Amino acid sequence: MASLSEEVLLVVKKVRQRKQDGTLYLMAERIAWGPEGKDRFTVSHLYADIRCQKISPDGKAKVQLQLVLHSGESTTFHFANESTALKDREAAKELLQQLLPKFKKKANKELEEKNRMLQEDPVLFQLYKDLVVSQVISAEEFWANRLGGVTNTDPAQYKYKQEVGISGAFLADIRPQTDGCNGLRYNLTADIIESIFRTYPAVKQKYNENVPHNLTEKEFWTRFFQSHYFHRDRINTGTQDIFSECAKQDEKGLKSMVVQGVKNPLVDLLSLEDKTLDEGYGVCGAQPSTSNSNRTVKESSNYAIIKRFNHHSAMVLAAGSRKGETPTDQASETSSTDGNSRDSDFFQPPVKKVKLQEEYEDLQQENRPKTVPLNLKKSDRYAHGPVPLQSQQYTTSQDIINSVNYIQHEMANYKPNLTQVLSSTVATSAISALSPGGVLMQAGAQQAINQMVPSEVQGELKHLYVAAGELLRHFWSCFPVNTPFLEEKVIKMKSNLERFQLTKLRPFQEKIQRQYLSTNVILLFSQWLRDWCW
Amino acid sequence: MPSGTGKTISLLSLIVAYQRAFPLEVTKLIYCSRTVPEIEKVVEELRKLMEFYSKQTRESNNFLALALSSRRNLCIHPEVSSLRFGKEVDGKCHSLTASYIRAQHHSNPSFPVCQFYEEFDAVGRQVPLPAGIYNLDDLKDFGRRKGWCPYYLARYSILHANIVVYSYHYLLDPKIADLVSKELAKKSVVVFDEAHNIDNVCIDSMSVNITRRTLDHCQNNVDTLHNTIHKIKETDAAKLKEEYRRLVEGLKEANVARETDVYLSNPVLPDEILQEAVPGTIRTAEHFVGFLRRFLEYLKSRLRVQHVIQESAPQFLKDIYDKVCIDRKPLRFCAERLQSLLRTLEITDIADFSAATLISNFATLVSTYSQGFTIIIEPFEDRTPTIANPVLHFSCMDPSIAIKPVFQRFQSVIITSGTLSPLDIYPRILDFHPVTMASFTMTLARTCLCPLIVGRGNDQVALSSKFETREDFAVIRNYGNLLMEMSAIVPDGIVAFFTSYVYMENIVASWYEQGILENIQRNKLIFIETQDAAETSMALEKYQEACENGRGAILLSVARGKVSEGIDFVHHFGRAVIMFGVPYVYTQSRILKARLEYLRDQFQIRENDFLTFDAMRHAAQCVGRAIRGKTDYGLMIFADKRYARADKRGKLPRWIQEHITDGSLNLTVDEAVQLSKHFLRQMAQPFRQEDQLGLSLLTLEQLESEEMLQKIAQVAHQT
Repeated sequence: MASLSEEVLLVVKKVRQRKQDGTLYLMAERIAWGPEGKDRFTVSHLYADIRCQKISPDGKAKVQLQLVLHSGESTTFHFANESTALKDREAAKELLQQLLPKFKKKANKELEEKNRMLQEDPVLFQLYKDLVVSQVISAEEFWANRLGGVTNTDPAQYKYKQEVGISGAFLADIRPQTDGCNGLRYNLTADIIESIFRTYPAVKQKYNENVPHNLTEKEFWTRFFQSHYFHRDRINTGTQDIFSECAKQDEKGLKSMVVQGVKNPLVDLLSLEDKTLDEGYGVCGAQPSTSNSNRTVKESSNYAIIKRFNHHSAMVLAAGSRKGETPTDQASETSSTDGNSRDSDFFQPPVKKVKLQEEYEDLQQENRPKTVPLNLKKSDRYAHGPVPLQSQQYTTSQDIINSVNYIQHEMANYKPNLTQVLSSTVATSAISALSPGGVLMQAGAQQAINQMVPSEVQGELKHLYVAAGELLRHFWSCFPVNTPFLEEKVIKMKSNLERFQLTKLRPFQEKIQRQYLSTNVILLFSQWLRDWCW
Repeated sequence: MPSGTGKTISLLSLIVAYQRAFPLEVTKLIYCSRTVPEIEKVVEELRKLMEFYSKQTRESNNFLALALSSRRNLCIHPEVSSLRFGKEVDGKCHSLTASYIRAQHHSNPSFPVCQFYEEFDAVGRQVPLPAGIYNLDDLKDFGRRKGWCPYYLARYSILHANIVVYSYHYLLDPKIADLVSKELAKKSVVVFDEAHNIDNVCIDSMSVNITRRTLDHCQNNVDTLHNTIHKIKETDAAKLKEEYRRLVEGLKEANVARETDVYLSNPVLPDEILQEAVPGTIRTAEHFVGFLRRFLEYLKSRLRVQHVIQESAPQFLKDIYDKVCIDRKPLRFCAERLQSLLRTLEITDIADFSAATLISNFATLVSTYSQGFTIIIEPFEDRTPTIANPVLHFSCMDPSIAIKPVFQRFQSVIITSGTLSPLDIYPRILDFHPVTMASFTMTLARTCLCPLIVGRGNDQVALSSKFETREDFAVIRNYGNLLMEMSAIVPDGIVAFFTSYVYMENIVASWYEQGILENIQRNKLIFIETQDAAETSMALEKYQEACENGRGAILLSVARGKVSEGIDFVHHFGRAVIMFGVPYVYTQSRILKARLEYLRDQFQIRENDFLTFDAMRHAAQCVGRAIRGKTDYGLMIFADKRYARADKRGKLPRWIQEHITDGSLNLTVDEAVQLSKHFLRQMAQPFRQEDQLGLSLLTLEQLESEEMLQKIAQVAHQT
């Protein structure tokens, strides 16, 4: 099975797996292990299937590397070459570290998608459990036409998925930890990296430019955390820092935002004052100038922090609201419309007017739907105590009063007219029909099948039904059989169906028969299945 | 009472009703407000009132009401209106509409003029503006339709309008008032809304600062003048002679100059000056330029000082007479003479001459007022004693000087604001005798404001922004805790005010170092006011956006800053306001010290009283931002133990004071959080019209009922 065309990146000898000596191969797309003296691999994992690698702590006697797969399985390799075990392990680890992320993205995305679908759809989840976990059909088969179906036929639904904003404090989550020897450790997760990229497109650009050509990912982030860019309170001095350009870009972005001005005239502080005093007039005319030359180092660093927070918040806000398009596009778009906004006052949006006309809610006629105000007997309990989750149907007191009145009215006018109700023969037949053994009472006995079968069994039956339906869907989707592939699939599906009958239906049938002899549900069911198939 | 509770509409409806009943007694209502949006809001309220009138009386009334603002807000000239700064717009407008430009245009049609102004000048004056309510945008629309300049149309129309709404600079700043408001009828009613800061507006409009840069600019101006005179003398000497003749005849005639020629007019000219002729020493153009030179050199020499000098106006005049033999009289005419010269020389770009204008205004002011002004020359800024940056402050200390003409001229003047407290200090600092004074509280159906005084941290450290504990880490940390806890429980927007920029910068930096800000960021986004107005506007807009989309945000801002004075945080834009510290003014400034001294000597106001009053009015302004109407609600957190003292608390407006209970005087952070939670949960319940009816909202029947009338009479009696 050892396909020789594959490029082998690393070979490590004397690696034990399940107490068997062998050789570990790292290839372009998979990692494989074969026992000593044989030319076939007993272990082979695609990189895409690997979720993560774990290594044994340095001090431990056994030097091990564990691969955890997405399916939850794990494989442990023990590096047994006494002299170079550690070095071997490091080499394998390093290589895996570089290889895994490349495959991860693709795998992750698919996996995430599958995960999401299973979580969103409980029926599908049950189906998955019934068919895949019990190994009736393989996971690939299960997903084969499901994934495609969703992404192809139903893209609209996918699109409407709400975009998740960015936490304002994502940088705060990267708390550095001291590692004991004058160093700092930052823990970065994929989420945080994503947040950083979305909030600071400049950093992403740098990342794309430099990783992996110039720097490894680790180096990149190390530099990021060392940079003046990350620690904005420091004054930018060096230019060798790759992030100094980012800072400049941010500055530019901020400036362009400022120059654009604001759209809401009510918050535009520049046009707030009607007549500003001319330069030189006024008491505070000679306030300390804001130019940088006069500022002390501390002041300008404080100023930088303030600017940074404003920028950060603005970017987080923008990252949450922008959909797809880059911020620069947005900026140029708005600025171009903004340029002539001053003389296009004619077409000024009515926003300003609406805002100027202060609406007083309490003076308006109400046309909102009626709500029931909370009537608090003990407001303290409401404010402090636990809040029970209860939904109740409220009727307004007016409704209740009305209906009470209505009933009273009805009752007052009620006059029984007993002679005219029923003829005696009809009455007799009705009584006989209702007495035990009568026509209407039989229905009651039959209905009991619902109650006879406990709900778990019903649930199981339902699952079986759905699973069978799914299998049949796969089966029928093969027709008309016009390619060899489909032919093969039909045969496979048939065997699947048979297996399903064998492993799932039979036991269930037997169980039911054992417990409820009178029922013939399963019989009906298997008959139905047979009818469908042939 | 805070705005949104009907202050403006009450005033308007009362005065308009009076105006309708006695059209001959009250000819005009002049309504002055603070910012452009506020002015526009007043006009919209007025529009509602007029609509109500015409609905009730079933006849259209012939009221003309309009808003007036600067050229920047009214210009419709495509080229001019695209300029961003008011000064540029004014300068450009002037270069298109000045009379000699238009004269040149007559002889040479390719010379650019403003079409809108030409059109207005040709046709606009004959037909008065039709009756109606004109906001700024309505004026522009009207101007576009007719092809007339809305700015000059508005300025012309205020003379016969029934109601004029504009900024109070137009009435208080003598430089502008002389231009715009000079001919307004005596039988007008003047309303100053949002007038809690009116004394500062008066003082600002009369004060002048001169730096070395101003003098250098002025030097250039004078050189330009000299060269221009030289040139004109060779080509057109008759013009200068004509000017001389005019000046001999007196300023009266000069004053009849066309309105467009007057660009930045003179400061207050005492009446007697207008009767007199310009003194001979500065009558010819060359002499005047020489005079200006001498004055300039003198000022330069005064700025070359090594230590701080403080002197009064008479001392300054005596010194200038001793040193360079400049008399008081020509100085008084300096501003007027310069304007005349600029007109004669047909200088288009008057904006360039702002430095020379400033100096000449200073000359006129310093020689006119011997009282109420002080001159302080500082060789360097206090913070940077090594960098020479000499400044001459000519600072007004008596706000009554600027407002006096208003009191004298108009029959009724109303000063009002939501935070005019304590009331009795205003008549003293503005030097007038009020006919009636009243302070009103709010009737509320539910207590929609919750003032809390947080005096201690959870560790019992006293919270205060006072100077001694300013750098104390325990205080800063506890302030941070307060904000953090609040950010977790308050929905949507929180606005926090600090006492000054420097203080805010320091606190933000140490919060950053301690990681407090990062923890706050978990709950809300943070935006911070900076000293740059454009940057702050952007932060403000983003802040509102963040409140709007549900993320929630915190705005860190500064008392006395622009945000605290002009921006409202309605409903969810401000569910809580936190005032960190007591916003005292920077007391070490010499100008302030001089003013305090003056207040003590002239008006018998103790320094501490004034400082506290000033701090508390700003604090009230800040926290009042949150409540904008009776359906609104908000927390007001005073984070300083000094607020609990009677002298501070007593100076808060009545509508806030009433809701401070004894139990909420000295809370810890935790206690405040508990109370806030309780308050916010209760307030979040639906609040409907029915809940207010009969309490804070009356139907017509309720209003006319005997019971209510009695109640009103009772309340009126109390105040």
